[in-house]
Amino acid sequence: MLLLQYHNLLIQSILTERFSPNSQPVSIDQVISDFDNVTYHISTPESKTKILISLSIKCFNDLKKYGVEELLQREYGPYIVSAPEVGYDFSMVVDLEKLPPELDAKEALIEKIALLKRNALAAPFEKAFAQYDELAAEAAKSSLDLSVPEDSGADVMPIHYRDEESIFIKASHDRVTVIFSTVFREETDRVFGKVFLQEFVDARRRAIQNAPQVLYSHKEPPLEIRSVPGLKASDDIGYVTFVLFPRHITKDRRENCISHIQIFRDYFHYHIKCSKAYMHSRMRFRVAEFLKVLNRAKPEVAEKERKTASGRRFGAR
Amino acid sequence: MSQSLRPYLDCVRSSLTAAICLENFSSQVVERHNRPEVEAQTSPELLLNPLTISRNENEKVLIEPSINSIRISIKIKQADEIERLLVHKFTRFLTGRAEAFMILRRKPVKDYDISFLITNFHTEQMLKHKLVDFIIQFMEEVDKEISEMKLFLNARARFVAEAFLTNV
Repeated sequence: MLLLQYHNLLIQSILTERFSPNSQPVSIDQVISDFDNVTYHISTPESKTKILISLSIKCFNDLKKYGVEELLQREYGPYIVSAPEVGYDFSMVVDLEKLPPELDAKEALIEKIALLKRNALAAPFEKAFAQYDELAAEAAKSSLDLSVPEDSGADVMPIHYRDEESIFIKASHDRVTVIFSTVFREETDRVFGKVFLQEFVDARRRAIQNAPQVLYSHKEPPLEIRSVPGLKASDDIGYVTFVLFPRHITKDRRENCISHIQIFRDYFHYHIKCSKAYMHSRMRFRVAEFLKVLNRAKPEVAEKERKTASGRRFGAR
Repeated sequence: MSQSLRPYLDCVRSSLTAAICLENFSSQVVERHNRPEVEAQTSPELLLNPLTISRNENEKVLIEPSINSIRISIKIKQADEIERLLVHKFTRFLTGRAEAFMILRRKPVKDYDISFLITNFHTEQMLKHKLVDFIIQFMEEVDKEISEMKLFLNARARFVAEAFLTNV
């Protein structure tokens, strides 16, 4: 599996099972974790046909500022519960008796619910893209030279989606900049991460000309976010910047672009872990080989069956 | 095999063959003890001159002979941060399994990455020329393994980055 999926597979499979017409309603109570410390809770508190799906995400307060509520209203309008479950940030109820009858509509609903985390995190991205549209229109009106980068009035939007790591988004009239701060727990991760990030930076130069520009800076925050308060200065922090150009954020590519950029950190760390696992299995193999070579040094003791003169065998008692 | 590796390994091989000339020898300090003198370091007259064979400042072998044991320490080439990390992981992996490798020392000698200790009991059980073969093969393959792992890491990183960026 090279690319990670955007939706949550467990939610998808639970709902697919429940939604299928010949399944009996059962009671569910399941807590599901997703990337970035996101927790879902699927339960049937009232009756077996009413499935309550709750989401807990660390940065919900940040997201509220960027219009996550409107976005979720748009996506899940009729299913939303006004008071979310205790301990969770957002809840919705799906009534199995009031499902759309067509198969396609059902599948679309499942897909939508499985993308809950992605949609919640999409709010600041959508806001930034809207800002970009405005700024671009303004710039076109005042016939600014589009090739000259200029500081725009748009604010940087920080999203503190993990304990130590954040995403920063900033719109401008000719691009949208997304900055991830990354912290490596371990020395190995840091070294491997550096190799990976270097390749991300080089990929555009080498092979894929129309990829977004990627920049990496260690320790020093990029200029765009210097003004943001609360940036931690430590040795193990790094900043990855994605510069999305107009061709990445055309109307029809936006949705895909949001999902894809969001998943960056998970994808990146997933592949670091994969490489570590591969190294481990490789070392295991190599050590076994060395052991074989060493064992060759032991002379083989010919274990011949011993018999007495009359042909009787020695046996263990 | 590169130009300078062959003579280096040949030199290590012949020095080892000469140095592994061990006999049973009980401790002269503690009665009824029999310990590797090169580790105990209690009687200087039982130790022979240590010998360093170096290919360059990053790759060398230290051979410390004594009457009943010999200690071989290897410094593996580490050109950059990645190689240093990989060597560290690999040697830790090996020393964690020292029990299975009878002659491997759990802790390397200072300034070296991995150490072996061969005593007279080992040479009594095992064939001497095969032991030497093992050390030489180890030295050859460790370098190869480390550079292959590094190449793999780079290739994977490149592939992963391209796969991600083409889909944006």
